[in-house]
Amino acid sequence: MTALGNSPQSFKMVDAFGFSHIGNVRPANEDHFLVGTLSRSLELRHTNLQGAPALEGSHRAMAHLFVVADGVGGVAGGHLASGEAVRALTEYIGLATSCFYSTAVEAEQEFIEQLERAVARADQRVKEYAPKGRGPATTLTMAILVGERAYIVHVGDSRGYHYRAGRLRQFTQDQTMGELMVDEGVMTEEQAQKAGLNHVLSGAIGSEYTPSIGVLDLQLGDILLLCTDGLTKHVADENIAAILKQSKKSEAACNQLVDEALDRGGTDNVTAIVARMIPS
Amino acid sequence: MIQKKICMVGVFGTGKTSLVRQFVHSKFSEKYHSTVGVKIDRKPVQLGGTTVNLLLWDIEGRDGTQEIQTSYLRGASGIIYVADGTRVRTFDQVFELRAIADKALGIVPSVCAVNKVDLVDTWQVGDERLAELDPTLWHALTTSAKTGEGVEEAFQWLAGAVIGERPE
Repeated sequence: MTALGNSPQSFKMVDAFGFSHIGNVRPANEDHFLVGTLSRSLELRHTNLQGAPALEGSHRAMAHLFVVADGVGGVAGGHLASGEAVRALTEYIGLATSCFYSTAVEAEQEFIEQLERAVARADQRVKEYAPKGRGPATTLTMAILVGERAYIVHVGDSRGYHYRAGRLRQFTQDQTMGELMVDEGVMTEEQAQKAGLNHVLSGAIGSEYTPSIGVLDLQLGDILLLCTDGLTKHVADENIAAILKQSKKSEAACNQLVDEALDRGGTDNVTAIVARMIPS
Repeated sequence: MIQKKICMVGVFGTGKTSLVRQFVHSKFSEKYHSTVGVKIDRKPVQLGGTTVNLLLWDIEGRDGTQEIQTSYLRGASGIIYVADGTRVRTFDQVFELRAIADKALGIVPSVCAVNKVDLVDTWQVGDERLAELDPTLWHALTTSAKTGEGVEEAFQWLAGAVIGERPE
């Protein structure tokens, strides 16, 4: 990664942790998450090469995958939608892993298209549960980290944040009716808030959606946070930033974020993934 | 179909995202959203019998030109530099950004869009300043993401240029 004027330091590893809690009032957890590593490795079966065992087990992480999903459509439907979406997405990405072995520019666009197809596959899978009518749906926020570049795909109102040097910034834009009305100039932010539209999805997997695609180049010390709205409806951005700043491990940060949401009401399921870029 | 990566480059708040939104969705929003990293959109453009799929990389604008992350430019076939015509400093910064991008990427077809031309009362970039843009290096024009003025032309010109068809 090159940035003139400030030379970012590379990171070698990712310390990632995810956690989901049912919350204090909901009867079931309709959130799902996934933290995974995609890698290629060689398992030797038979050879007459000398020193062959050295070839084996060179297990090198090729990409890190982080996904959160928040299901809607009743307890059973929401749970099913978010779970099936994460499952279908992960299956597809697992099959399409070869496309990020190359760092060529042409391959990058192909890779982005693969990610969009993965989301389409997830949408198709969720829609199978309501072929003729209104069925369950889910948000989906994914980051896939290849080298120092994070590819982001986002649908709905689960969020992605980037933390660097004390500054927390949301890199996803909520796809809610409230945001839509304000963007279209139909309502002010206050009116949208009063009308309760900030929690009504304008796009969701299993329903109408337009995925938002992004890229974020990361450097040593950066932190990614993906979370469902069960966290952000209770914990303000400045509190999130403070927790990320003081925690040395992703697991501790993740647990503390979820605990904070529960302490402040826990009115919804709470899910968070924290990924820190570390030297080794 | 031919695919070409186009980058939107400019300092903070010049209207890069709004230009893309106007071009892709024919919409404008008064609400300001700052971009974090890169937001990617695409739009096919018809040029004679050829369809060019533009992959629009809307790169986060920072306060200073030296903070631009040139890693995002890799593989770009063309660049739209965006200045805010109501802040003359952002026009000056376009030249600095161009020098940085040329060094990182080499010279690629480029447009300079001096944006927010609908704000006539606070406009600061006169014709004499626009004349500083060497026409052999840039296609310069004024744009308004709000009214749509100049937006289609900016992207259409660049689409032609990146496939080697420079309009007259």
